[in-house]
Amino acid sequence: MNVAQQAINGLVIGSGYACVALGWTILLGAARLVNFAHGQMYMLAAFICWFILTRSGIGYPLAAAISIVAMALLGVGMQLMMGRLVMTQNLTSLMIVTLGFGYILQGVAGLLFGGAPHTITTELVQQKIQFGDVWFTSQELLIFVVTLILYGVVWLVLQRTRQGAIIRSVAEDPKLAQLFGIDSRSVYIAIFVLEAVLVALAAVLVAPRTPILTSMGFEEVIITFVIVVLGGIGNVGGALIVGMLLGLFTSFFGALVTPAYTTAAIFAVLLAFLIAKPEGLRTR
Amino acid sequence: MTEILSARSLTVRYGGNTAVHDVDLGIGAGRMVAVAGANGAGKSTLVNALAGWSRGYPVVSGDVLLDGQNISRLPPHQRSRGGLQHVPEGKNVFSELTVEENLALVRLGEDHAGRFLFSRSEVIDLFPRLHERRHHKGSALSGGERQMLAMARALLAGPRILLLDEPSVGLAPRLIGEVLAVVRSLVDRGLPVLVVDQNVRAVLEFADELYLLERGRIVGHGSAASMKNDDRILKAYLGDLAVKGDLQ
Ligand SMILES: Nc1ncnc2c1ncn2[C@@H]1O[C@H](COP(=O)(O)OP(=O)(O)OP(=O)(O)O)[C@@H](O)[C@H]1O
Ligand SMILES: [Mg+2]
Repeated sequence: MNVAQQAINGLVIGSGYACVALGWTILLGAARLVNFAHGQMYMLAAFICWFILTRSGIGYPLAAAISIVAMALLGVGMQLMMGRLVMTQNLTSLMIVTLGFGYILQGVAGLLFGGAPHTITTELVQQKIQFGDVWFTSQELLIFVVTLILYGVVWLVLQRTRQGAIIRSVAEDPKLAQLFGIDSRSVYIAIFVLEAVLVALAAVLVAPRTPILTSMGFEEVIITFVIVVLGGIGNVGGALIVGMLLGLFTSFFGALVTPAYTTAAIFAVLLAFLIAKPEGLRTR
Repeated sequence: MTEILSARSLTVRYGGNTAVHDVDLGIGAGRMVAVAGANGAGKSTLVNALAGWSRGYPVVSGDVLLDGQNISRLPPHQRSRGGLQHVPEGKNVFSELTVEENLALVRLGEDHAGRFLFSRSEVIDLFPRLHERRHHKGSALSGGERQMLAMARALLAGPRILLLDEPSVGLAPRLIGEVLAVVRSLVDRGLPVLVVDQNVRAVLEFADELYLLERGRIVGHGSAASMKNDDRILKAYLGDLAVKGDLQ
């Protein structure tokens, strides 16, 4: 086994996981909302990008941008429909409603794009960067770098800016925030749009690495869930670290044992961790 | 006298239960107006309705006028931005934000007409403890400190009028007077204040007028001096204490 190569693969997979999870970290951690349509939104964003790339002469960056805008609009639509559930932070109902949304998205995508696997082809996936006996693609480097930057920016915004304080205040008590002159409804819409934009960005970055299917999404939402819970709810730094560790785990487990059972193994790790340390890596 | 804030036929219902019945009241410029009443009389429901705010789902009818403008249709955040500053009963600061962050949430709007502007240093002068505690989270503050923080943010927002629901709840008797004296000093600078407080005796020392609320209806209204001698007030709020006072 080439340990260095497995480590690089692990970091690439891990930054992909972390990237996909970032929107959820903000949603649950900062705003105390959930969105179980997250995985299907990932799928849909990937398919929109794929569709534009194959049906038009538009390049990857623009196709990715269009896909992100489309998901932002979808995020606004979902929020407007969920209005009151959101203001009362009714997590159980939100879970059911967003799960429902996810199934609807999956059905619609199945009708539109069919059940066959497709690949998003970008030039960056084909560019190999080689150092001695380890290599990675330009796309993988892009995933890694963009994820680190996004996490840094999100952390700074949440902790160091007035906008971040507004998000945290609405998360804690949307009703009280109104008395501070804050339009809590609009803040929720903004957070949801941010979630949609981040998952779309993750999709157009990460999905080109593997074939895409309209039935995908479950694994993405589960891994996201694991990252957010293990990282400590609301802990952006914790989510990044856990994402990377899960990636390394996936890579080495795949190489040393078998790639077939990595998801099951990740769950075993989650269970063991939650039993040993119910509060996550670090509660805030 | 010009009324800064007034309510016309204000009625508030929770489902089938009417908590506030057809209330008319007004707060004039530079006046400190108190609302008294037994537990469950509807005091909080009334002030919350003035702010267009609630933690529940009340149905409000009637009109609320701010400087003569009908604001009944405005959502609470817009009333707040317009200078109607409400400090509600119970949780009124963010526990996961520091004192500094709580205060920094507040932004003064563009339109300063009719508003009482308080600088940061004036507010700190009123509540020096907040400065000492500025890096502490809301959850680390004592009840009195939270009350001060909530009032401080209302002042920094540039109020036209201040609504205070139970500002002295949980405070030591000596502090009750201190808090009400601070409120009075604001009123003396011209800021109109509507205050709900269980400590009717203390409130009557500082307020200009008092409304008495019973089961959601206004059953008495007058100057503080006259209300001190009102039978119902004497019996329900001052009697006990007066007797105790006599015994000492
Ligand atoms: N969110 C709510 N949902 C339903 N009913 C409510 C709600 N809040 C208050 N009520 C009812 O409205 C009536 C008035 O309550 P309110 O809180 O206004 O009284 P209060 O005078 O402020 O009492 P206290 O002195 O205890 O603060 C009560 O009968 C109460 O049960
Ligand atoms: Mg009350």
